Amino acid sequence: MADAKNLKIDIMRSFLGRARGLGSVNDGFNFWWMQRLTSIALVPLAVWFIFSVAHLAGAPYAEARAWASGPVHATLLLALIAVVFQHMHLGIQVVAEDYVHTDWIRTTLVLAVKAASLLLALAAVIAVLKLAITG
Amino acid sequence: MVEAKRFFADLPPRSRPKPGKVWKAPAGAMRVRNFEIYRWDPDAGGNPRVDTYEIDLDQCGPMVLDALIKIKNEIDPTLTFRRSCREGVCGSCAMNIDGVNALACLKAIKDIKRPTVKVNPLPHLPVIKDLIPDLSLAYAQLRSVEPWLKADTPPPPDGERLQSRAERAKLDGLWECILCFCCSTSCPSYWWNGDRYLGPASLLAAWRWISDSRDEATGERLDALKDPFKLYRCHTIFNCTQACPKNLNPAQAIGEMKLAVLAREG
Ligand code: SF4
Ligand code: SF4
Ligand code: FES
Repeated sequence: MADAKNLKIDIMRSFLGRARGLGSVNDGFNFWWMQRLTSIALVPLAVWFIFSVAHLAGAPYAEARAWASGPVHATLLLALIAVVFQHMHLGIQVVAEDYVHTDWIRTTLVLAVKAASLLLALAAVIAVLKLAITG
Repeated sequence: MVEAKRFFADLPPRSRPKPGKVWKAPAGAMRVRNFEIYRWDPDAGGNPRVDTYEIDLDQCGPMVLDALIKIKNEIDPTLTFRRSCREGVCGSCAMNIDGVNALACLKAIKDIKRPTVKVNPLPHLPVIKDLIPDLSLAYAQLRSVEPWLKADTPPPPDGERLQSRAERAKLDGLWECILCFCCSTSCPSYWWNGDRYLGPASLLAAWRWISDSRDEATGERLDALKDPFKLYRCHTIFNCTQACPKNLNPAQAIGEMKLAVLAREG
């Protein structure tokens, strides 16, 4: 029931004030552009990777090691790792920003995803480097 | 799965519509069609309800708006909705008809394939009454993109600011917008983040002024839009373009705006 006596109004700020909000951060382009660039880069890298892995299927461990430790393959693997994790954390960040509306949960989630992506990427990089250097 | 479905699809309990009254067609009506219409009265409070009106199509004009006007005039004067021009020019009669945002005055009853015609307010906005949503924030967002000519060069003393034919042609597909907000309220990004994302209607208006050869504030306009929420919340889903009753393409306008920012960065 509408009841004038118990009417509680929390916001009296004008709609224009609300629409302008905190203003433009004059950013967002780099994020958007990086998402596009990484998705384009992923196409050849992913195709190469899937073909290579399919080719290696059933091969003995030593052969797979040898494949990954070659300078060309190691370089491409490092590029793949960088692109995948960059693309992945940007993508998850967008999903969190779209659907999570409690500020602290959203920020925590985004930071956790960034941290996890970074750690996983570093672990993957170290694995490749280890193979590439020790042969 | 059940949880996810509840989370996304269910309205809060107090917003869930309940079945309402059934208004019978007059005896002898030959061609009856049911209209299920969302009703909510702020003075009565409580949950919204869905009233069913049985309309004799032989005694009714061809458009959904004709049926609404018939209901208001002849059956139930409490039904509340916006309309003015009844020819797709004013943008007042935007509502969700048969699950799709449309102008009631341009939507032919016979084009609705489902047997019952369901009429609801534009989605995801506060409801003021019945089919009238609160567009205050959407209008303020439009105002925030400053949809008017900004130029430091004074106009010629003897006349108007001129454009070449090619410059004028760039505004086609943009100036025709009637600000019905069918697009913004069909946009998932606007549903989830409508407080920060400007939405396709306001962004189309922004692009209309960025595209105007007489306007000299392009850089300033792009600065104000270049924001992860105001502009970049558009994920190119194209719901807006599908919804536009004037066949405009806000998604493309937004895409071009992103390319304009790219051109500036690159
Ligand atoms: S293209 Fe952009 S503005 Fe249009 S419906 Fe999709 S997200 Fe919304
Ligand atoms: S772009 Fe189309 S749907 Fe959007 S407000 Fe303008 S006329 Fe309405
Ligand atoms: S009444 Fe004007 S657009 Fe429908």
